[in-house]
This record gives sequence, structure tokens and C-alpha cells, in this order.
Amino acid sequence: MNDIKSYATVQKWIANVDRYYHLSEDEWQGRLRILEDFCYAVEQDPDAMIAEALNDRADKIDFMRRLRSFAKEQGASRHAAHDLENVVRSFFIHNGARVVTRPYAEG
Amino acid sequence: MDFLQVVGLRRSIRIFKSWEQVEREKIQRILEVVRHTTCPGNLQPWRAVVVERDKLSRQDREALLAADNYQGAHVQAPVWIYWFSDVDNSGGETFRQRVHELVDLGALPTFYGWTHESIDASIVGGETAPEGMAAVHTLLHNLPREMAALIGRQETVGACAVATLAAVNEGLGTCLHMAAATDKVPVLKSILKVPDGWEPIWCQLVGYPAEEMEAGGQRPRLPFETIYFDGAYGRPFPRDPKVVEDLQRGGLIREQMPKPGRFEELKHLARAFGFPL
Repeated sequence: MNDIKSYATVQKWIANVDRYYHLSEDEWQGRLRILEDFCYAVEQDPDAMIAEALNDRADKIDFMRRLRSFAKEQGASRHAAHDLENVVRSFFIHNGARVVTRPYAEG
Repeated sequence: MDFLQVVGLRRSIRIFKSWEQVEREKIQRILEVVRHTTCPGNLQPWRAVVVERDKLSRQDREALLAADNYQGAHVQAPVWIYWFSDVDNSGGETFRQRVHELVDLGALPTFYGWTHESIDASIVGGETAPEGMAAVHTLLHNLPREMAALIGRQETVGACAVATLAAVNEGLGTCLHMAAATDKVPVLKSILKVPDGWEPIWCQLVGYPAEEMEAGGQRPRLPFETIYFDGAYGRPFPRDPKVVEDLQRGGLIREQMPKPGRFEELKHLARAFGFPL
């Protein structure tokens, strides 16, 4: 996989989020690391992942299922896992892939 | 709360303190206010089912949330007031009965032509209503069900607007949501056990706002002079700056959105509640 920031979907994600929320460089580094780790876990680059999710709802659901497993493996606590999932969900949302978002209480 | 303040502070609140319950008295007060809302012919087609989210079974809660596409605000709000229009009671016969009542109580003056006989002749017989009273024959005689549904719907929408103001007056946050996507209406009606003739109009979310009460400021409004006219279309109704200043002092006209810090607030709330940013 190339530099994570070189992918169009990642650039779009960063631009969209920063248009409103202006995250710090540190925050972005953390987010990009999570996304990159997830991409390795599902063996897809970001652009290919979004293309699949937009093309086939079943694929999108499968990514979300794998995201949950991935987060459980990575996260130290339920909240940490949820936060981690949210990073990838945000990436999907800002690239037009509709995913269900729920707060902690409903997680 | 002062009327101008209520109108000026009303926002569609979308981020609620999901854990904070709403007092039953406050819900009742909203319902009582709506009961006194204006309505042509005193028709009163609105009905409501109050649902407390945390009293639902998990299955019903999920089905109702799914009916509204799991909208974030719906998930969070602790009280959902489902407003319906009673189509079976929005037709000519209900109008006839209600208007008779208004005549008997002295609301509709007989000296304008409102009598039981003139009402029956117009609504039932289709005769031209005497000058002085409303031309009810044109609207209500042989009123098809689709028109009754339309009337019920429009009057219930108006009632819902008042319901939002009533909620703000209680210090609550509120927002009108689609009650159910078209294909989910049968599920909604089944769970709430409402009669077949009730048509869902809005789901009013109620709770204490987690975002600040102004929710980032007043929403953009179309320019006054482009929507209000004096005498006829084309001549804008003059807007007196002194009136505007007075309304600003009274709390109706407030700071426009986005107020400084709005997106910082949203960032904080997303993190606090666990939504993806």
C-alpha cells in the first residue's frame, strides 16, 4: 500500500472533517494509523475499500463486521474499541458510504 | 417564558441528554397546549401517542428507530410523541358536527349566516353558502377521503408547530422527525396499536438538550422583503428597523448561526456521546 495520505478517499476525508472540525496534526496521525491498520487487516487500500462499499451493500456490511472484530482485537476497553470503530466509520461516512452510527449507550 | 423568547429560542434540537428523563407533567403541558391550538371548524384531527423510549421493549424500540432510519436525534431523545391525523374524523360530517357546536356555543355568529340549516344545506346538500359565512359548500360537500386526509394532515402539521413551541416553553429541546418511512408505516401503527384511519404525521422528539439551547444560533431565514408583500405581490412589505430592534431586544431575533464555537461544541459532543467525527 502507498502512503495512506496519497489516496483520494483519504484526502477527501481529511478535507471534509477539517472543513468543520480542524483536528490537530496529532489527532490525524492517530486516525490515519488506525485506518491504515484496518486496511492491512482487510487487505484493501482505502480507495478500493470505499469503491467496494459503495458498489455493494453486502460488502459494506462485511467491512463493518470486520471493523467490529478488528476494534475488539485492538481496543483495550469497550469505549476504546468504539472510538476506534468510529474513526473508520467516519472515513466511510465522509466518502459517501452510509453506515449506522450509534452512541456508546446503544453500542 | 415570554412568547418572543419562545419563538426566538426554538430550534430543531438534535443532540439530547439521552439519560435525562422528561417530567410527565411537562409532556402533559405540551399536549394541553396543542389541545387549544387553532383549527378551522374546530376540527381537531390530531391525535398523539407518547412513547418513553426506555419503557419500550428492545424489539419495539429498534423497530421504531429503524422506521426513522436510526436518526441520531431519535436514538438519543428520551420521549417520542407520535402525532397522527385521524383521517376518519377529518371529513365533512365531523366538520358539520363541530360547526353546529360552534354555532350553539356562540363562536360562529348567526348574524353572519351560520345556522344549523345553512350549514347542513351547504355541507350535506351542496347548496351555495349564504354570503357572510365561509363557502363551505365548495370545500366540504361530497368531500373525498383524499381531501379529508389532506385537511387532517395540514391541520395536524400546524398543531405540531405549536407543540414545538410548547416544548421550548417548558425548557425542553425538541425536533420534528419523520414518524416512519413509507414502507415502515404499518410497523409503526402496529407497535403503537393505532386505528387504521390514523395517518402518521410527525414524530416529535423531546428531551433536555445536550447542545446549548440555541443550538449554534438562529437558522438562515429568507429575506423579509422576498417573502412578504404589501397589497399585492411585487411590492415588499416595508420592514421598519425600529420594529426589528424591538424584536431583537425582546429575544425573537437572535444571533445567526454558526455562533462562535459551534463546531468545537459539536466536536465535543460527538466525542462525549461516541459518534464518529
